[in-house]
Amino acid sequence: MPQFFSNKRLILLLVGMIFLVALISFSLRDRNHASLPEQVIKDVVGFGQSIFSKPTQYITGVFDNVESLLNTYDENKRLKVRLEDYVALQASVNDLRLENDELRKIVDKEEDLRAYNPIQATVIARNPDQWEEKIIIDKGEIHGIEVNMAVMTAQGLIGKVTLTTPYTSTVELLSTQNPNYRVSAVIAEGKEVFGLIEGYDEKRKELILKRIDSEYEVKKGQKVTTSGLGGIFPKGILIGEVTEVTTDDYGLTKLAYVKPAASFSILDHVIVSKRTITNVDGTDGGNTDADLTEGAGDGS
Amino acid sequence: MTRILVIAISVLLFYLEPIFGLFSPIELNTDFYVLVPRFLIIYLIFVAVYYDRKRAMLYGLFFGLLYDVFFIDIIGLYSFIYPLMCLVASFTVKYIHQHLLVSTILTLLLVAGVELLLFLFYTSIGIKTMTFTYFYQHNLIPTMIANAVFLLMFGWAFKYILLNRFNQKALLLQK
Repeated sequence: MPQFFSNKRLILLLVGMIFLVALISFSLRDRNHASLPEQVIKDVVGFGQSIFSKPTQYITGVFDNVESLLNTYDENKRLKVRLEDYVALQASVNDLRLENDELRKIVDKEEDLRAYNPIQATVIARNPDQWEEKIIIDKGEIHGIEVNMAVMTAQGLIGKVTLTTPYTSTVELLSTQNPNYRVSAVIAEGKEVFGLIEGYDEKRKELILKRIDSEYEVKKGQKVTTSGLGGIFPKGILIGEVTEVTTDDYGLTKLAYVKPAASFSILDHVIVSKRTITNVDGTDGGNTDADLTEGAGDGS
Repeated sequence: MTRILVIAISVLLFYLEPIFGLFSPIELNTDFYVLVPRFLIIYLIFVAVYYDRKRAMLYGLFFGLLYDVFFIDIIGLYSFIYPLMCLVASFTVKYIHQHLLVSTILTLLLVAGVELLLFLFYTSIGIKTMTFTYFYQHNLIPTMIANAVFLLMFGWAFKYILLNRFNQKALLLQK
């Protein structure tokens, strides 16, 4: 193809390539902040996207309703059995909550790691190429969403907000392979056992809970929740259930595989939690982020 | 009318992609398969083959940029790959016959090319660690099947609309 590689085109191609590499490296460096033009594009596209996604969710909702209608009989039978337990449980929960409030008043402690203001949001898109585990929701800075807030469904924690624009925000799911993604977690059955959710096993589809003190015993089936000590996430959001316990690579601490309570595959309505107590840039956030990224940069 | 239709279809497909993305990954026998909808690039390749190369590349650049900014926050990835694929398609089509079946196969090959380029990019910058066999079995094959179904359903319609527009423009130029 002689006419394709004429001098002018060759130069244009080269300049284009250089520009491209510069653009990619520029945007790779600082991915947690959107510049003004980016924000505008995101908001405009997000607006269009929500117009398309709301009717779709309505239709899939109808299908879901039909499906659950078909299962009603079986479900009803099972639920009836559990209803009596539920009443008893509810009574004791109410009792405990009241007692907790009273005790708090006595010791004059208002703040609570558990308390959060929920913001309801709708998922308007999932990153269609799915190389990164990201979803985009229809609430943004205007609605009070900030970077690093915890995002959950009714089942449990699914991720955290990584980027906000005035009207949309991007949520990175727990199933990401980002090495800087950490959630401070706790197994609270009997004794409190702390650990960090670090990483996701792609093959097993399970989260990895690392840095558990080897003195403590962790058993299969125990529930893992957020500890609230990472500085950003509120306490007590369910993450999942332990499926296997081993020791880590160096044999110093224990490592547990955690099956996530929430499903990451089809998401529509999510809750963003705005913690009421002051946020600290701890292990959940970017405090140690800086030196970790330097290390990761050297490694890769 | 057809003129607006050419743009309207690309906007529609751009917005439909993430909605179909919400249904993926699908679970079969405890294995997860990722289906990536690539409707827009399929359409743009058809534009390049049947209508106008320059226009296809321009649309590719524009929608690629939107895609980059809105979804993946790496500017320059899709806005490079989309026009590149349109360019490759239009150069290849000079040497082969413009039959629907041929362009369908060409489009599928190019979509596989897009996936492969993205795999190379993401594994090389270390956002994702994935072996090629895993990618091949769990991403590439399901994606190709899903997009082939889409292409078989709508390929003829795209060809019909775009050729219509092409003839319309040719008539205008004659006058």
